[in-house]
Amino acid sequence: MYKSEKQTIFYVLGLYLSSTLLLIATLFATYYFYKQDELMHAEREILKEYSSALEEKLLFVHENSDERYEYPRFENFKSAIYDIDKKLIFSTLDTKIDNLDKDFFFKGSNSYYISSLKPHYLGAAYSVVEKKRKPIDILNDLIITALIIITITIITSFFLVKLVLKPLRDNLRLLDNFIKETTHELNTPITTILANIETLDSKSCDEKSMRKLQRIKTASTTISNLYQDLVYLLLNHQISSQNEELNISEILNQRVHYFSQAANVKKLNLHVDIKEGVCFNADRQKIERLIDNILSNAIKYTNKSTTIKVVLTQHTFSVSDEGKGMSQDEIRTIFQRYRRFDKTQGGFGIGYSIIKSIIDEYCIKINIESELDKGTKVTLTW
Amino acid sequence: MVKIILLALISLTFLNASSFEENCLSCHGNDFKFNMMMKKYTQKYSSEKRIKEAIFDYLKEPTSEKSVLPYEYINRFGTKEKTTLDDKTLREMIDVYYDRFNLRSKIY
Repeated sequence: MYKSEKQTIFYVLGLYLSSTLLLIATLFATYYFYKQDELMHAEREILKEYSSALEEKLLFVHENSDERYEYPRFENFKSAIYDIDKKLIFSTLDTKIDNLDKDFFFKGSNSYYISSLKPHYLGAAYSVVEKKRKPIDILNDLIITALIIITITIITSFFLVKLVLKPLRDNLRLLDNFIKETTHELNTPITTILANIETLDSKSCDEKSMRKLQRIKTASTTISNLYQDLVYLLLNHQISSQNEELNISEILNQRVHYFSQAANVKKLNLHVDIKEGVCFNADRQKIERLIDNILSNAIKYTNKSTTIKVVLTQHTFSVSDEGKGMSQDEIRTIFQRYRRFDKTQGGFGIGYSIIKSIIDEYCIKINIESELDKGTKVTLTW
Repeated sequence: MVKIILLALISLTFLNASSFEENCLSCHGNDFKFNMMMKKYTQKYSSEKRIKEAIFDYLKEPTSEKSVLPYEYINRFGTKEKTTLDDKTLREMIDVYYDRFNLRSKIY
């Protein structure tokens, strides 16, 4: 699975899941509040009955006692009575009630109901009844149900995304297979062309033929380079690195020489400043791919008759050209596979994808400084 | 000094109490009726302040509307006569009456 494909799956999954979760959360919250409301209503009705029972008892005590008045007490609830000026007359409550304006409320783990009384038996103008609040025990069930639904949604959405992306994946696979097969077919003719040009005797050709031959050599080098890139990319996951202590200075000199012909065709001035004896522990083939891609990009995208600077120090390698440059947005997306900004130039847009995979493997930092119409400077630091 | 004040207060209470016997109980007779009246006032006016105010108001100007007794009773026996006590004494008597007969202090 490609990185971009994974990213798409995550984005779609994220979007799908977040909208589903939002829907579930809204539904569950509505249900929870509805249940809570229902429970409150039930509590209120129970307390109302208790209040009526208290009123009846108050009437009985008021009418049937003379010397002493026994305040009515109940098993399942507690109560208090207040006079019309809201002064406490008698209470069996555990807490003090300050506000008699609300008729029904919760305080701590208790629920309260306040009702006005008339006539005022025992002087009571307000009665307060208190009972233990019935807890809402649907929250745990709701959470478990929500978790099950979310799990099912995640699984479903994963398969859904896979299904939606299938045509895209098939197309990518087709493209990969096409490149793979084309690459195999390219190998033999390129090798033949390059080998034969090398063995040609330059003295037996006139100047005009020689120039033509040089152009053929440059073109073949470009194709060969592209071939190497494709092979690297196709076999990238199958070959393990053969790391060894490499003389980077030596390799760089060879690669600059290898590209000098292509540079000559564009009449480029190669300014080379290579520190001798710079070594790095890595796979030779990968380092060559890295250098080749940076150099070939610089040659490919620079303007004619300009200067390309190649500088190697103990810990840095930089190549700067005087080409058309890139915008900040282009630099941000440069490492994506098949990303090409200039369609007038040949190539598959895989160069920077290869560069990225190699620098990531060897923990090399890359810095791309670019200004439109002025040029680009690529610096590697290790 | 404290003793003197305490003695004065106690003697004042007894003085008030004996005035109550003289001003109220001499006509109204036994406690039962007073109990009944207090129940009626409590049932209608609820708080101490309002009960005392209602009693004062009635005794100063007794009318059938102000009375807490049933209409039939008033119709038969009529309302009582206006009090001859001055406002201060009347309020003191009402205070004694409330202190002795209020329901609030008898709830247990």
